[in-house]
Amino acid sequence: MAALLRGLRAGRLLRGLSSVVAAPTSTTPQCSSRGFHCASLRLKDESKSDKHSASSSYSSSSSTTHNEYTSQQDSDPSSGDQEQDEEYETEEQLQARILTAALEFVPLHGWSMEAISAGAEAVGLSSASTGMFINGAGDLVLHFISQCNSKLTEILAEQHNQVQLGQAEPKKTADFLRDAVETRLRMYIPYMESWPQAMSILLLPHNIPESLKHLSTMVDDIWYYAGDRSTDMNWYTKRAVLTGLYNATELVMLQDSSPDFQDTWTFLDNRIQDVTNMAVTAKQMQLTGEAVAQGLMGAAVTLKNLTGLNQRR
Amino acid sequence: MHRAAHTAFCDWPQFVRPAMIRQSLKCTGCLQNSTRAYSVVPAPRDSEEKEMMHRMLRVDHAGEYGANRIYAGQMAVLGRSRQYQMWDQEKKHLSKFNEILAENRVRPTALLPLWNLAGFVLGASTALLGKEGAMACTVAVEESISEHYNSQIRALMESDPERYTELLQLIKEFRDDEMDHHDTGLEHDAESLPGYWLLKNAIQLGCKAAIYVSQRV
Repeated sequence: MAALLRGLRAGRLLRGLSSVVAAPTSTTPQCSSRGFHCASLRLKDESKSDKHSASSSYSSSSSTTHNEYTSQQDSDPSSGDQEQDEEYETEEQLQARILTAALEFVPLHGWSMEAISAGAEAVGLSSASTGMFINGAGDLVLHFISQCNSKLTEILAEQHNQVQLGQAEPKKTADFLRDAVETRLRMYIPYMESWPQAMSILLLPHNIPESLKHLSTMVDDIWYYAGDRSTDMNWYTKRAVLTGLYNATELVMLQDSSPDFQDTWTFLDNRIQDVTNMAVTAKQMQLTGEAVAQGLMGAAVTLKNLTGLNQRR
Repeated sequence: MHRAAHTAFCDWPQFVRPAMIRQSLKCTGCLQNSTRAYSVVPAPRDSEEKEMMHRMLRVDHAGEYGANRIYAGQMAVLGRSRQYQMWDQEKKHLSKFNEILAENRVRPTALLPLWNLAGFVLGASTALLGKEGAMACTVAVEESISEHYNSQIRALMESDPERYTELLQLIKEFRDDEMDHHDTGLEHDAESLPGYWLLKNAIQLGCKAAIYVSQRV
């Protein structure tokens, strides 16, 4: 698993590097990604003021932004003036902004590059800035998923805080899990029509590592706030069970046409009930097995006593 | 599986420490950090450090778990003996690591059932060779573990001794305990076992392989 995550990091690094290579401005690799970014910011200002065509302003601004960047580099970064700090955002933050804006256009264009370019235009950038997103629709879906996970974590942390402060009753584990899964799946409701497309994008081979990582961190978060502090195989079995629950419920939700997805939540309730029953049965079986084993041991000792094998000579 | 699922869905008391949750609400992105002032592991600065710390804690936890199972195997064969006190100390080590893992949300190694079985079998089979066999196994394992802790101490000292003060203290304490066990084993005629050299090296090789694998899986 650690190897998987390392591979993901390497993949992301390569993607970062390749986006750097794609940027046409300056020579040093460190400058070029930021040069591209500064160019897009410059574009934003220029498109607001002059309405020049994107290509001409881009080529003329590239040299000036390179100069601006080198002067920025020369100045002391810790005492940079306010304006520089406000203007400067990382490439990732810019991408996040574009993708968040693009989500509004998903009901119209689906999970696609059209939605991303509409989002870029909504933020005030040229639609050519979608060149940043090598993974295209996959970037959009993964961004949405990670946004949903963050929201869920916030909600769970808030609930936990309430319990700690004594303002709310702690829930039973089964109820907690049900509420957490329901809250998380409800975030998909605005995009429900295009969700099958999103799921198929997530199943593309190059998206699978990232989507699995999001799924596993979500499941880990839910169990953490449910109170799981196990450090043995229970860690794995609990998360496996919840992953199965979540995936099954998501699939049911895709085909659900009842009002407010009532059938889905009923399905979720029933599955959690099944797991609880299975757990109780398993526990009973284990106790029975232990009792039987003890009985057998007792019988063996009795036999040894009867036959005199236990005597020390 | 049964115990897992059962405990999952019975009433689960919420016993997360309040300080941790208060801290975690300050920055929703840092939920995984335990930022209590007296926590053993410092809050990781970036994902690389987090990876490194988690790997270290995971393999230490696996090591203590395995050592526990080895002593359990030896006790199962030999009954109450000198191993008992050493086993008690190992239990304390394991519970400390359990605490640290839970606090820092570290994933335990997936090979725990394997170490469970392998440790018990190793302990039981060396105990079948007699008291000296059990002591020889103890010597070999404790030497491997001490070496492993020493290399971790070296790595932490090289990177940033002040940052990891409490963790270094903990590992040093555990390393000293393991060295004590090693010396106890030697005192009790571990070397008088026929085939001692072979057994010791085989066990140490196995320990090295176990450490290597547990760091990655």
